[in-house]
Amino acid sequence: MASKKTAQKTLRLAPVLDLNEATALHEKLLALKGSAVAIDASAVERIGALCVQVLIAGARNWEEQQLSFTFAKVSDAFVKTTQLIGVDIDPLMAKEI
Amino acid sequence: MKKRVLTVDDSRTIRNMLLVTLNNAGFETIQAEDGVEGLEVLEEANPDVIVTDINMPRLDGFGFIEGVRKNDRYRAVPILVLTTESDAEKKNRARQAGATGWIVKPFDPTKLIDAIERVTA
Amino acid sequence: MDMNEIKEIFFQECEEQLAELESGLLKLNDGDRDPETVNAVFRAVHSIKGGAGAFGLDDLVSFAHVFETTLDCVRSNRLEPNQDVLKVMLKSADVLADLTNAARDGGSVDQARSRQLIKELEALASGELPQATAAEPTFKAAPTPVAAPPVNEEGFQPVAFSFEDFEADEPAVIEAPCYEIVFRPKSELYAKGNDATLLLRDLSRLGEMSIHCDMDGMPPLDRMNPEAAYFSWKISLKTDKGEEAIRSVFEFAEWDCDLDIALAGGCAVDASEELPMQPVPFDLSMLDEAPAGSAEEEEQFASRDRDAAVSAAGTASNVLQMAQSSTRAPAEAQRNTTAAASAAAQQAASAATPTIRVDLDRVDRLINLVGELVINQAMLSQSVIENDTNGTSSINMGLEELQQLTREIQDSVMAIRAQPVKPVFQRMSRIVREIADMTGKSVRLVTEGENTEVDKTVIDKLAEPLTHMIRNAVDHGLETPEKRLAAGKNAEGTVRLTAKHRSGRIVIELADDGAGINREKVRQKAIDNDLIAADANLSDEEVDNLIFHAGFSTADKISDISGRGVGMDVVKRSIQALGGRINISSKPGQGSIFTMSLPLTLAVLDGMVVTVANQTLVVPLTAIVETLQPEAAAIHSFGASQRLISIRNSFCPLVDVGRILNFRATQANPVEGVALLVESEGGGQRALMVDAIQGQRQVVIKSLEANYTHVPGIAAATILGDGRVALILDVDAIVAASRGQTLKPEMSLAAAG
Repeated sequence: MASKKTAQKTLRLAPVLDLNEATALHEKLLALKGSAVAIDASAVERIGALCVQVLIAGARNWEEQQLSFTFAKVSDAFVKTTQLIGVDIDPLMAKEI
Repeated sequence: MKKRVLTVDDSRTIRNMLLVTLNNAGFETIQAEDGVEGLEVLEEANPDVIVTDINMPRLDGFGFIEGVRKNDRYRAVPILVLTTESDAEKKNRARQAGATGWIVKPFDPTKLIDAIERVTA
Repeated sequence: MDMNEIKEIFFQECEEQLAELESGLLKLNDGDRDPETVNAVFRAVHSIKGGAGAFGLDDLVSFAHVFETTLDCVRSNRLEPNQDVLKVMLKSADVLADLTNAARDGGSVDQARSRQLIKELEALASGELPQATAAEPTFKAAPTPVAAPPVNEEGFQPVAFSFEDFEADEPAVIEAPCYEIVFRPKSELYAKGNDATLLLRDLSRLGEMSIHCDMDGMPPLDRMNPEAAYFSWKISLKTDKGEEAIRSVFEFAEWDCDLDIALAGGCAVDASEELPMQPVPFDLSMLDEAPAGSAEEEEQFASRDRDAAVSAAGTASNVLQMAQSSTRAPAEAQRNTTAAASAAAQQAASAATPTIRVDLDRVDRLINLVGELVINQAMLSQSVIENDTNGTSSINMGLEELQQLTREIQDSVMAIRAQPVKPVFQRMSRIVREIADMTGKSVRLVTEGENTEVDKTVIDKLAEPLTHMIRNAVDHGLETPEKRLAAGKNAEGTVRLTAKHRSGRIVIELADDGAGINREKVRQKAIDNDLIAADANLSDEEVDNLIFHAGFSTADKISDISGRGVGMDVVKRSIQALGGRINISSKPGQGSIFTMSLPLTLAVLDGMVVTVANQTLVVPLTAIVETLQPEAAAIHSFGASQRLISIRNSFCPLVDVGRILNFRATQANPVEGVALLVESEGGGQRALMVDAIQGQRQVVIKSLEANYTHVPGIAAATILGDGRVALILDVDAIVAASRGQTLKPEMSLAAAG
């Protein structure tokens, strides 16, 4: 378990995840390929559908690679936006706090 | 946490109306007098939303919108166009240029604030 | 700033736009086909319409709309702006100006005229357009293409929806119909700054919503375009707001998405269908924009933010982040203010020349004070000189600098009131159009030197005499097109209005290429009216200047335009009241030139200080041609009291100023005094006799009317360096009095208003 934890990388999301951020986020995720990822979405104030798309694509990719892809911390805005647009992130929520 | 609005309009009357309306509604307002100036102040204005007129000297609204959409940093900023009547042709051109939405003149404070709220989070 | 102030700004702006409009149209009339000229003209009308709409000035809006539509035809090259078209447009510009004035000052406009012009404008617009789209006088929404829903007047009013309403409506929601909405955004939707999340947010406010996000189109991470739209949504929405309201949510997006809205039989709010539907919770408060409102609300918002952060702060990184965000706030605030400041500065700098609008009263108060300063400085200098026995003290040098400075301050302050004559000149083109129409003449007005500056008061008072002169020039000066053609001239007459500075005065010239003064006719008329003796020997110049006599009119029939009993004498009097002079020179068959010379300011005057019967008087320097010491041999008497002085082989009447002003009962001896040769009314010269010349200096004009009452023969007063009050002579009134006319109040003319 200890080795796995060191391999896990954290990706902290920017407060504003708009059109511009989608490409940046996409690149960041691509750079993390091969490691378990914990997403820190606690700072997110605003997230657009494009960035949700990128995150979902990332989650699918990680799932294919059988690596862990979790949302470690989420802001209220992040949760509510994903609920609003019908994207269920519950399965991706980190189970232990 | 005040939202920042950049308004671009060559009419002093409309500029003042925008200023009063937006300030009363709790927005921070930065104003430019035409498209050229609008692009010049873009960085400093750092707007959350832009409201622009179409008919302006030097650089009209279409050119201004295209300019904003080409700006790496501000291309995602919602842009509302002030148009007189529901001129389909102008709306069409504004949309092609990259406008997010429009506000039909005559100027009405409620319409303005509504439209801004629709395109901003 | 309140609405009334903005309205005031609007009317100021209208004036500028109207001037822009007219000068643009005139340029087009001269064959200018620069698209920017057409654009500027269009913008001017467009801008007036925009502002007028905001203030509910419906008459103005509807006229401007028709005008704008026709101008748009010109702009898009569907209508050639030939002379006939421009004639209608120039008239329309006049009506637009009338409507603007009526909107500001109340009053009415010539309804028939504007209706007629609306018809003409519409005819122009539809002449080239079989569809006659432009012929709609009231403006309604133009039909939108595609299946766009007609948006009602309230626009997107139905969207406005608070969550309080939602709760109140809840029981009724059960009966509300249910809509199935399929929403497939295109990539363009995001590229234009819109976002599916915002549209879905607004949609959720309409009612009870369940949503399914279709992610089937998603490519793998490494093959996806992060800016492309892959998600689409199927939404069930239970709302009583109707399909209209749903469509209006997507109003801005309708071109950038596929949208299907269908009224569903039953509502699939429950997630029991084939597609897993996620109910959207009511509480989306975090997604609401910070209710852009009071600071209190903002504070609440901020503290809620903070609370959320604190509750989540389990780890050190979170605490750190919090600290970061709290330090960021003031920095950002500061950046914002500096940004706003520099934006404002840039805004100011980007205008051609930055200007401020200042209440005229303030400027006048300043001018008055500077006047006092100049007087005070002169008095101080004088008393120092009188008390200074050493001759060259350092005080004297300091005083010289002070004098220099006060003079510069005075000039700068005067310059504040100086404005270009452009607005007055522009008004004249309308006058020309109207009178050309009435007389059936074809006239072109050419203006030059519009940017010549002169005191605002002079400008304000110039419009009326200039209007009379222009009317006169077109009505009497120019011939009918037939006569012009017969005389081998262009059928179109030209009136040229120019302004220029010349030796500290502004010279305004009005030239026409008409028939010139009919001297025979003028002479005969003057004889008939007992203005001159039948056998009087007058030079051409003197004959020409007869038209400035009161009640003089040579027109065979009194026309409606210039025959209202207002003659050139009134013009002359208004010009003189401004301290100006007017002259005419005319060439038969080639036209006439009226030349007006006016002071640049009414606040100061260069004068010659003279003594008459122990009184100190100031004679405006501009009136003086030369000064001379009369010799006994040059003085010739005739009649009871008339005397002439011979100057270089010509005789000039001698005017005893002291006698005319009743300073003394008997005639002074000319040999003991000085003669000031002055040019006056009609260009004739007179020699004003005074006792002695004290010197020349600039004096600050103090109105007698404002401080005392009008005194015949005296234009105004001033205060000299020694503190004494000196009267400023009204030269023309004195000369007129010397012709035997007594100094009656209505005859004399004040040089300062």
